[in-house]
Amino acid sequence: MMRSRVRSRSKQIGFPLLAGLCMQMAAVSASASELDAMRMLPAWWWAAPAAGVLALVMAFWFFRSIAAANPGNARMQEIAGYVREGAYAYLRRQYKVVGLVFLGLMALLTYMAFVLGVQHRLVPFAFLTGGLFSGLAGFIGMKTATMASSRTAQGASESLNRGLTIAFRAGAVMGLTVVGLALIDITAWFVYLYKFHHALFGGHPMNLETITVVMLCFGMGASTQALFARVGGGIYTKAADVGADLVGKVEAGIPEDDPRNPATIADNVGDNVGDVAGMGADLYESYAGSILATAALGVAAATVAGWDAARTFSYLAAPMLLAAIGIVLSIFGIFLVRTRENATMKTLLGALNRGIYVSSVLILVGAWFLVKFLAMPIGVFWAITIGVVLGIVIGKGTEWATASDYKPTRFIADQAATGPATVIIAGIAEGMMSTWIPVLAVCVGTLLSFAVMEGFQDLLSGLYGVGIAAVGMLSTLGLTLATDAYGPIADNAGGNAEMSELPKEVRRRTDALDSLGNTTAAIGKGFAIGSAALTALALLASYIEEVRIGLHREAAMEYVAPAAGQPFVLKSIGADYNKKWAIFLPGAKPNKLEDQMFHTLSAFEGTGPTAVVLRDENGVEHSLIINETGELVKNAEATDIHGNRLAANKASLKDFMTLYDVSLMNPKVLVGVFVGVLAVFVFSAMTMKAVGRAAFSMVQEVRRQFREKPGIMEGTERPDYARCVAISTAGAQREMLLPSLLAIALPVATGLVLNVSGILGLLVGGLCAGFSVAVFMANAGGAWDNAKKYIEAGHLGGKGSMAHKAAVVGDTVGDPFKDTSGPSLNILIKLMTMVSIVFAGLIVKYAPAIGNWLNLGQ
Amino acid sequence: MKTHLYFVCFQTEALVASHLDPDAFGAYMAVGTRKHTSGNVMFFEVDPIAAAKTLPLAGELEKRCPPHPDGGPRHSKYLGIYRVLESLPMEALGKLYLVTRDGRVLGLDAKPYDAAKEMRGPNLYTELCPVTPRVVSFLPPTRFAKFITDPANLVNVPRILFADSLLDRESDGRLAGYLPYLNPEHIVDCINEVAVAEKSAKTVERNPKLIAFYRTIRRGFFVGDQTGVKFYPFPSQDELDEKYHIWWRSASLD
Repeated sequence: MMRSRVRSRSKQIGFPLLAGLCMQMAAVSASASELDAMRMLPAWWWAAPAAGVLALVMAFWFFRSIAAANPGNARMQEIAGYVREGAYAYLRRQYKVVGLVFLGLMALLTYMAFVLGVQHRLVPFAFLTGGLFSGLAGFIGMKTATMASSRTAQGASESLNRGLTIAFRAGAVMGLTVVGLALIDITAWFVYLYKFHHALFGGHPMNLETITVVMLCFGMGASTQALFARVGGGIYTKAADVGADLVGKVEAGIPEDDPRNPATIADNVGDNVGDVAGMGADLYESYAGSILATAALGVAAATVAGWDAARTFSYLAAPMLLAAIGIVLSIFGIFLVRTRENATMKTLLGALNRGIYVSSVLILVGAWFLVKFLAMPIGVFWAITIGVVLGIVIGKGTEWATASDYKPTRFIADQAATGPATVIIAGIAEGMMSTWIPVLAVCVGTLLSFAVMEGFQDLLSGLYGVGIAAVGMLSTLGLTLATDAYGPIADNAGGNAEMSELPKEVRRRTDALDSLGNTTAAIGKGFAIGSAALTALALLASYIEEVRIGLHREAAMEYVAPAAGQPFVLKSIGADYNKKWAIFLPGAKPNKLEDQMFHTLSAFEGTGPTAVVLRDENGVEHSLIINETGELVKNAEATDIHGNRLAANKASLKDFMTLYDVSLMNPKVLVGVFVGVLAVFVFSAMTMKAVGRAAFSMVQEVRRQFREKPGIMEGTERPDYARCVAISTAGAQREMLLPSLLAIALPVATGLVLNVSGILGLLVGGLCAGFSVAVFMANAGGAWDNAKKYIEAGHLGGKGSMAHKAAVVGDTVGDPFKDTSGPSLNILIKLMTMVSIVFAGLIVKYAPAIGNWLNLGQ
Repeated sequence: MKTHLYFVCFQTEALVASHLDPDAFGAYMAVGTRKHTSGNVMFFEVDPIAAAKTLPLAGELEKRCPPHPDGGPRHSKYLGIYRVLESLPMEALGKLYLVTRDGRVLGLDAKPYDAAKEMRGPNLYTELCPVTPRVVSFLPPTRFAKFITDPANLVNVPRILFADSLLDRESDGRLAGYLPYLNPEHIVDCINEVAVAEKSAKTVERNPKLIAFYRTIRRGFFVGDQTGVKFYPFPSQDELDEKYHIWWRSASLD
């Protein structure tokens, strides 16, 4: 933060330096044009935004090719039309509610930025763009998916390959839109902040720490949007599904996707709003979050280590460039996905895996050249490799835990023979047991990626390794997400073919595509949760970076201009705790916070001399030790930096841990851990109960329609599909608010009461419990679903048998597990981290006073 | 307005007049009433002229089943509820209609049955009317019908409607995994017992819950007595998938 404050070369070090400090600082603004010239971005960096644009161009091209495909006969188009209208109706309502929440949060963030001054003034806008782009990614994905269902069914009537191609490319529109928008959002913000913000609004050019931390804040907008999309979509889809199943299948005895079921269109709409729009918004946030957190860590590592500008920039740009390479390879991989006629499930899965494996191998080749090109340590390459391998391991682990070819799902199916109770017990047990693969994989991946970057010697470098591993894992997200979004598209195509009464051969093909979609959807969910866990560690470290900035901002807000001739003012800040200190240099414009920040040095802790480090424009560091009366005691040697008071910008993460007493012996940390774990369970309970309530309304409505319109069952009267869509929509909107607001309010409340140590406990507790519970829920739900399908395929008595009925109970229990609560938990983890990051300034400033008032110490 | 005559043979036994055609009548019986029919329904279309040979129906049908006062069709007018099967002449039985729980209807035509090609069991017969046990027997359908309707036997009925049910077995003798019977081991035990004791038949269940019933049909349905059998073959798997997909999807559900 402060290292770039003194940009003129000091001829001397020591008292003359301080004496000349005022003049030097004043000279900074005079050299603004020179600085602009220095802020030229290297030509290679532009590959990142170019790849973002390429992704969008390709997404548009795929979209056009799907739009040009035959949409099928009138009946197929009619059914697709119902689903499309329902999905749009849902999104319109969702965006209204989310818009209001965003307005409220914008007002709060604006107040914090412009009135309280506890965060950068661009944060509210970064928050907004994150939310907008995340929502846009989901919307485009869903628009394509609803358009593609009838076309996939029609394509399947021509050939299996044609059906697969249309469904997969529709998924690719979603995948490429997510990565394209994310990379464009990141790079556009970066260019603006790096080159244009100071030019447009005056003031000093922003340093890289501030830029990365401000950009990180758009993650909160994306997370908020993602949480609403996931929770709302999850509640919607399961309310419709449970309503359709309980009344349609169980009570009325009509098969799935039967047009007589009033909830069947809502069920199909649910697949789109939950699995497509929700998943898109979710992974948009994961993808952007991992890039931004890694970039922020790279800059932090560079700052503490004192690397030169070129090396710092390499660390900042590496995750963006890796993402760019990933986009190109994802596009390549998409073209590899094709199959022959009469393909088996194995062949179809092989077709999808071919794309994933080839692009995974190629991303490693690309990473090798990238690391060499940027002259980064080879550890970066190994960390990326670990991330890529980790993604595959988690995907395979999910497949093992949920696919009916393997033992866990077979065991659940076997237990169905003795009734629903044993199915539930088996599903819960297998779901719990299945957590070992992804959790241990993430543990091993974290340790290895930390170690290969020498993290045990240099903490920040190690964390950068973990962050870049997460970026590596998500680098081919364009392709991974295509396989994921493909699932609901194929599912809808199957429903469309069924309702349109297409010939047997077409139904056989759409069934094959649909079965494959179930597997890929489960793998996608495992991938999303795994990447969230890996990214979370990087985000935890980024949180400390935000605390660092928050401390500095707090110090700058108390700026006192030194008297004429006085080289600086030293002041204790943060009420009377004497832990945080500010050194104010002359030259700041009054009431200009950003300018005051530029002329402020912050430090913390201890009663001895304060050590600060200044760096001139050539990157040469000058360490000073100042006593409590503000006199320079001496020029410090490098080893003296670890004095009793540390310059905030030079403080290591461990120093922050010491400052806030983040240790297991601090009850605030433990309480925070408990609150984090509690948050996971309460949130899961709230979302599941929400499904129950929304499903109850749906059940009542479907029953009412059957009761009041006897012609529906006889096929002489059309059900009121729109009413069911409206009920599910209203239920989802009503029910999603409370859990979502919990995720936003909890970190702020915890932080204000328990300060930074409590927040870190909350995030750790939330991460550990959330990751495990999310995997448990996703895998248990997926295994229950596939156990039912295994029985339906003719095992253990087949469809309609008692074992099948028991398995249907298991599947119904698993529905909110795998499609509502489980997938929402990884966003809960990330949103709580993002909220903590965005509100760090507020917490840093006000939590000590509140803690003191509550007798909880600082 | 044509008046149809139906013999509802499963789950209740009744002779019913109706203005509804078979599809509508089936849907009405399954879902169009609040009398809460649970499970599948089966009925025959009955030729009123042939039926009049044994039942006092001549000229009575229209009289007993008039349209509603508003001119609307009468859904059902019960003309008999007991010992209907034995009272109808065999030739009066027309198409057999199988109705699913949600009212989908499949009509089966009677076809000639080649008794010469019959092979020895074991067979699983699901009796549907007038009694409803499920039995195993090594007797082929024609001989089984004769056996069960033989007045010389202590236990007999005048006429029987039964389904020939699937009894596929794994190589180790267990019943095939896809069969939805509640007591597969007991069925195997019964088969073994019948084989050893050379019994004509053994009851597996007295009143079985017919789970996924239509999915368990092997050759089809038989109506038989001492004079012979009338055979209603069940469509092949391919035909069910291709021609009767909607009915089959519904029938597979429950």
